[in-house]
Amino acid sequence: MVPISYYLVLSGILFACGVTGFLIKRNIISIFMSIELMLNGVNLSFVAFAAQWHALSGQIFVFFVMVVAAAEAAVGLAIIIAVYRTRETLNIDQVDLLKL
Amino acid sequence: MNLHSVEMDRWSPIILTLVTFIPLAGALLLLSLPRRDRDIRVFSLVVTLFTFVLSLHLPVHLHRAQAGFQYELDRAWIPTPNIHYHLGVDGVSMWLVVLTTFLSPLCVLISWNSIHERVKEFFIILLVLETALIGVFVALDLFLFYFFWEATLIPMALLIGMYGHGRKVYAAVKFFMYTMIASVFMLAAILWLYAKVGSFDFVTIQNAIRNGQVANFTGAAQWLFLGFFIAFAVKVPLFPFHTWLPDAHVEAPTAGSVLLAGVLLKMGTYGMLRFNLGLFPDQARANAWWVMILALIGIVYGALVALVQPNMKKLIAYSSISHLGFVVLGIFTFTQAGLDGATFVMLAHGVSTGALFMLAGILYERRHTYEILEFGGLASSMPVYASFFLFVVLASVGLPLLNGFVGEFLVLSGAFQARAIYGILGATGIIWSAGYLLWMYQRVFYGKITHVVNETLPDLDPRERIALLPAAAAALVMGVAPLLWLNAIDPAVQTALAPFAQLASKVVGQ
Amino acid sequence: MAQTIPQGVEYVRILPEIVLSLFGMVIMVLDPLVDERSTQKLLGLIALIGSVAAIAATLYQSQFPGLGFWGMVKVDGFSTFFHILVTAIAAVVILSSFEYMQVQQIRAGEYYGLILFGAVGMCLMSSAVELVLIFIALETSSISTYVLAGFRRRAAISSEASLKYFLLGSFATAFFLYGVALMFGATGSTSISVIAQALRLSPVPVLAYAGIAFMFVGLGFKVAAAPFHVWTPDVYEGAPAPVVGFMSTAPKAAAFAVLLRVMFESNAPGRLWLIWVAAALSMTLGNVGALVQQNVKRLLAYSSIAHAGYLLVAFAALANNGIPAAMFYTASYAAMNVGAFAVVSHLAGAGERYVTLDDYAGLGRRSPLLAATLTIFLLSLIGIPMTGGFFAKFYVFSAALQANLVGLTIIGVLNSAVGAYYYLRIIVVMYMREAREEVPAIPVSPALGAALGISVAATLYLGLLPGRVLEYASRSAAELLH
Repeated sequence: MVPISYYLVLSGILFACGVTGFLIKRNIISIFMSIELMLNGVNLSFVAFAAQWHALSGQIFVFFVMVVAAAEAAVGLAIIIAVYRTRETLNIDQVDLLKL
Repeated sequence: MNLHSVEMDRWSPIILTLVTFIPLAGALLLLSLPRRDRDIRVFSLVVTLFTFVLSLHLPVHLHRAQAGFQYELDRAWIPTPNIHYHLGVDGVSMWLVVLTTFLSPLCVLISWNSIHERVKEFFIILLVLETALIGVFVALDLFLFYFFWEATLIPMALLIGMYGHGRKVYAAVKFFMYTMIASVFMLAAILWLYAKVGSFDFVTIQNAIRNGQVANFTGAAQWLFLGFFIAFAVKVPLFPFHTWLPDAHVEAPTAGSVLLAGVLLKMGTYGMLRFNLGLFPDQARANAWWVMILALIGIVYGALVALVQPNMKKLIAYSSISHLGFVVLGIFTFTQAGLDGATFVMLAHGVSTGALFMLAGILYERRHTYEILEFGGLASSMPVYASFFLFVVLASVGLPLLNGFVGEFLVLSGAFQARAIYGILGATGIIWSAGYLLWMYQRVFYGKITHVVNETLPDLDPRERIALLPAAAAALVMGVAPLLWLNAIDPAVQTALAPFAQLASKVVGQ
Repeated sequence: MAQTIPQGVEYVRILPEIVLSLFGMVIMVLDPLVDERSTQKLLGLIALIGSVAAIAATLYQSQFPGLGFWGMVKVDGFSTFFHILVTAIAAVVILSSFEYMQVQQIRAGEYYGLILFGAVGMCLMSSAVELVLIFIALETSSISTYVLAGFRRRAAISSEASLKYFLLGSFATAFFLYGVALMFGATGSTSISVIAQALRLSPVPVLAYAGIAFMFVGLGFKVAAAPFHVWTPDVYEGAPAPVVGFMSTAPKAAAFAVLLRVMFESNAPGRLWLIWVAAALSMTLGNVGALVQQNVKRLLAYSSIAHAGYLLVAFAALANNGIPAAMFYTASYAAMNVGAFAVVSHLAGAGERYVTLDDYAGLGRRSPLLAATLTIFLLSLIGIPMTGGFFAKFYVFSAALQANLVGLTIIGVLNSAVGAYYYLRIIVVMYMREAREEVPAIPVSPALGAALGISVAATLYLGLLPGRVLEYASRSAAELLH
């Protein structure tokens, strides 16, 4: 049997990939997908912990997270479209009316 | 029980509340008045006069022989933190209250024509300022004291910034930031005391300190002393902290200058007397040497800088630094004469410097300048004005039988008792002050008229005379019959000095 | 745990959320049906009634304290406090939005609905005692505010603000969620009370430390605490002014409520240093950043970072003083900041053209009453006595002193002195500088007047008679720690 820690390390790596992608990607859609990657990393750790504690709740949480992520994606994409309409670009470096 | 004492019992708990808040109530009423400038002026005058008359109740009914606070009112206000609405006065603070209420109607009169824009706001601010100033002197709860202390800042800064001239915004912000940052240290000290004693009440804290019930007090006392001292020293202003004062004075409107010099600066010296001496007598004694040196520097430095000022108002401002140096010197002699004198100088300086600023303002209204060189020979074109000016200058330089003399004499005799060199150095300050004021008087009023406009300057009108007469009269009465004031001040000063007498006897006993 | 169908009283324990959701849905349904011109007033009015009804529901609900829905929500003094706070903020913001939406010519039906839905999430955040429910509530509130931030659709700056808020917000949410997962891994539960027991008994597992740290990062973003504050100035500058008034207070209050529950009720390990650093950084960066701002909205954004810092000081203090201090702070900050942004949104004018300091020059002459109102809020933000802001700082710093956090208190006090400078600048500009160009003076509408009146009254009430609110906060804090 694969030990739990493997799953946890994988989930950590996924989360870290997401964070890295969020920080270095320049396309808004890619940045958004990085966030999704982070959430999926979290989902994996939920499932792994659920197995470790023999608690079903951990697996159910994943559904909640997925639903919320879907809602977030809907709103997020709408916002991205709104930005694209006014600026006609999806490069984050060119969305710079507000100095960061 | 005679009628007299019955009346007193009924009034004495609420009289201070009334005196403090009637100006504020007046300000609120003003808010609802229509913008008819004349009505607003008359209304403000009525309110301030009424407050003054009401405040006369205090000296008339004070038990002069009795030490401690009178007219006390103590009510719980906020449960956590334990803040009380605790008011009360002793002989010192009572006179400062009366000084405030006395100067306020004069401020209204002197601003009658000089303020013609945003008149309603001006008088609202003035009345709010009066409430805050009186509140500082009557509050016996440290929190309440801090509350009023900070509350004076905003109206004063607005007066300077909105109605001043020249670099008014700079002056207003400088004034605000200086005093605000300094008072943060006082707040920190107050909070420390509250954390240890569990009360903001002045008397409670004082007793707790005297009975040694405050944990870690010996270690913190020096810092607490400094925390209070810095806030007060900036306000006074004591020598290295004085730079805001000339700016604020020069740019302020006349009424602002009168209240600033007349009352606001006294908040600092009053605070030293009440809190630095009252709460930390040991530290006051230990730190007295450098405080007195700073005070002496202030006396001489203020006088020397005043001597070379080309600007009349700046000259008066620096003379305030010099005079307030006397007050600080007197307080830290820890002698009966010194403290009596210090209190008396506070009152006398309030009256005579207030009058000087009013006179300067009157000239400014006519010529829109304070430059001394712009004038000369005014004695011929404005004789009444010139005689008022001379009278006030003489009062200010300490001519016997006028108010300046009594206080400075007492301070110096206290200083000689403490250490002769302090007295000698302080005495030079009097000579300097005679020098710069009389020289300024000579340049402005004697000689030939150098500027044509000055030939036709109108003399004082009745309103201006009415504004100046009370101040001149007060200067005279204070000089002729100082005991009227001193016999109320004495018991308060004795109370303040009680711990020092014990200290002294301890030293002697060893 | 008995898996029964929830009882009637348990529904009462989420009554305010139900009320808000119903009103929100009614607005959404009515929005396409009603006439375009009357949409404004009618739907706004419904939203207003909804938020007032939610306050009433909260008061009713407070008579039935206890757990509900399998121990996922808990009605106690603490939750009631934040429910009332959030719904009151929503009501005042709605009042102040009528005029703004008309001036900006935005069709604002769903705007009001979104405010109510946001409020649902924030209310739930304060009463949830289970981490996954907290996550869902957090997302409900966040998603609504993402949309609200971009509500001036035609303005590029507004959608950009929305985008930034959305990206960084979801980024933070992911961190929070990872923290929840790690906490679940460390203790086998997501219920705060179970976690608290687990953390008290065993030697604290490393995972729990990591979990707390991740959750703190996530919530730190939401409350705009340094070093997670970078989004704040941009988003506040771009988002519509009334929305900024809303999202700088209500979601923050709710996120602080969650932090309080998570940090104190769960007996979280190692919280002190995290919070110490974040508080010191937020106060310093916020105040220093605000010093150089010309745009009033940006200035207030930096100020809100600084205020998050002051608030965090209370978290570093001991629980029995720190919690009431933090609760009081959120309330008084809400009163003054909502008010300040109501003034800003009134002055902004069509297209938010007038939002720089220069546009405020001469306001004291142009509209004295409005200037005086803004002055009261600014003085409260400085922390001048007689205003709520003073006691807020006072309680926080004295709580910190009682916990012997002398260093942090000194940093805080020095910071509030620095902070005085830039608030003062606005006052100075309003009263002491003449207007350069003619800025139109629009009369204040009755609704906005009411909003300002409520804010001023609340600010002064908290400044003059803070006793009752603080006492209530202390009592509910004691309950929470029990």
